[in-house]
Amino acid sequence: MGASMSGAVQLDRPEPRWADPARAMALPLLLLVLWQLWAMTLPDITRAPSPVRVAATFAQLTASGDLPMSLLLSLGRVGGGFVVALTLGIVLGIAMGTNRAIRAAIEPIVESFRPVAPMAMLPIAILWLGTGTPTSVSIVGYAAFFPLLLNTMHGVSQVDGKLLQAARTMGVPGFRILRKVVLPASLPSILLGARLAMGVAWTAIIAAELAVGAKAGGGGSGGIGAMMFIFYAYSIDLNGIVVCMIVIGLVALAIDRLFRLAERNLMPWKQQ
Amino acid sequence: MKLRLKNVSRSFNDPRSLKRTLAVSDVNLDIETGEFITIVGPSGCGKSTVMNMIAGLDTPSSGSIEIDGVPVTGPGADRGVMFQDYALFPWLTVEQNIGFGLRNGTPGDGLSRAQVEARVREHIELVRLSGSEAKFPSQLSGGMRQRVALARLLANGPDVLLMDEPLGALDAQTRLILQTELLRIWGETAPQAGRKTAVFITHDIEEAVFLADRVVVMSRHPGRIRDVIPVDLPRPRDEHVRATPRFGQLAEEIWGLIRDEAYEAIA
Repeated sequence: MGASMSGAVQLDRPEPRWADPARAMALPLLLLVLWQLWAMTLPDITRAPSPVRVAATFAQLTASGDLPMSLLLSLGRVGGGFVVALTLGIVLGIAMGTNRAIRAAIEPIVESFRPVAPMAMLPIAILWLGTGTPTSVSIVGYAAFFPLLLNTMHGVSQVDGKLLQAARTMGVPGFRILRKVVLPASLPSILLGARLAMGVAWTAIIAAELAVGAKAGGGGSGGIGAMMFIFYAYSIDLNGIVVCMIVIGLVALAIDRLFRLAERNLMPWKQQ
Repeated sequence: MKLRLKNVSRSFNDPRSLKRTLAVSDVNLDIETGEFITIVGPSGCGKSTVMNMIAGLDTPSSGSIEIDGVPVTGPGADRGVMFQDYALFPWLTVEQNIGFGLRNGTPGDGLSRAQVEARVREHIELVRLSGSEAKFPSQLSGGMRQRVALARLLANGPDVLLMDEPLGALDAQTRLILQTELLRIWGETAPQAGRKTAVFITHDIEEAVFLADRVVVMSRHPGRIRDVIPVDLPRPRDEHVRATPRFGQLAEEIWGLIRDEAYEAIA
């Protein structure tokens, strides 16, 4: 399990707080400068992206509201699909983790679908659900479901039997043991599953919107993936594509940090 | 509460050899209300199995276990268990661990919120953990965890205390202190009717003698009762009792009973 404590060696004389961030920023800044210098050697009519042009495009896309709207739409779809996957994954995971018969009945189906990548479900999803939001949401839900289910199931089946016995000897009824012992004991696994699920959900939404955009011919469905598709297929705007790439990366990073923060706050006993 | 174990046997399927092995064979034991019983024996003699069966976490293959004449059919809060590794809930604080049974189980039935709070508080003080209420088990020393487990056991108000090597993980000094403390909490100074019934498993012979009214010596292959030694040392007992000739005699007698098997176990 991903213990996120970085074990940095404490020096005798502590360095200023900004020392490590400064080191981390140095190389990216250098590359950015080199990229800009290279771009300045190109003729003015080039389509090649440069840091300055990317920044200008970002400002323009933000000011026009196109970028925020697309981002919001994509995030909304991810949220919807994630909530469905969360509910199904946790409920099924608990059932499969606690009950051998249920696990034996469901596991083969799960295991046969799991290797089928979310993208491989796209053609059939588009044919059945069309090129709108339902397709994107269902692809996201499908992608997020497996990490949630498997981690919940694993966490629940790994609960220390002594803790269950202890609760039973204190006259705690079965359903309460589930709520007060099994759930908190498997919370680390469930939260890990949620974080992994959110990661793949965000990857899946971009791919789904790109593909849906292609099918719909650039019209209709929207989202940051579709926006990227339009820049690629219609306006051939490399600066716009780079803006999308950066925003997608930053959002993925923000989501990951948010989940790690939630993990720390929901599991105070894990600290130290 | 009176415990009666009648011809209790327990066998398991050995997953490797697929043979049935007898873990506990034909155990007969009557335990009186307020009596402190310790069980000693080499590893593999079935002492934990016996305790689990009394707790209702395991069922005899044959024979019966009765509490005040009623057969045991499952776990219940009338028999509190203190596990070898304490089995504290890592996500709950000291205070929440001690109050877990009162807030979630049958021990809290009929108690108001305020009564529950008072009882938890009282047990925190009993085991001298005031000031550490908000700590998680991972932030405690071994001795403190052990006291949390003891407080959790007692807060539920069981009539029977079942303890499986509860002091096993502690250093020698802490152990001696907690043995005396355990006797105080069990009710050593009270008349026998005011004491709880206690079954305490240990592999430490001196600990077994120091605590017990009777020491049950078990042996293995199959697990069975070898002998029951009454301990006629006066109560209340303190550290000085260890220096008396009678204490040494009893420890020697028990050692004599398990010596051969103990040597066998390390051979």
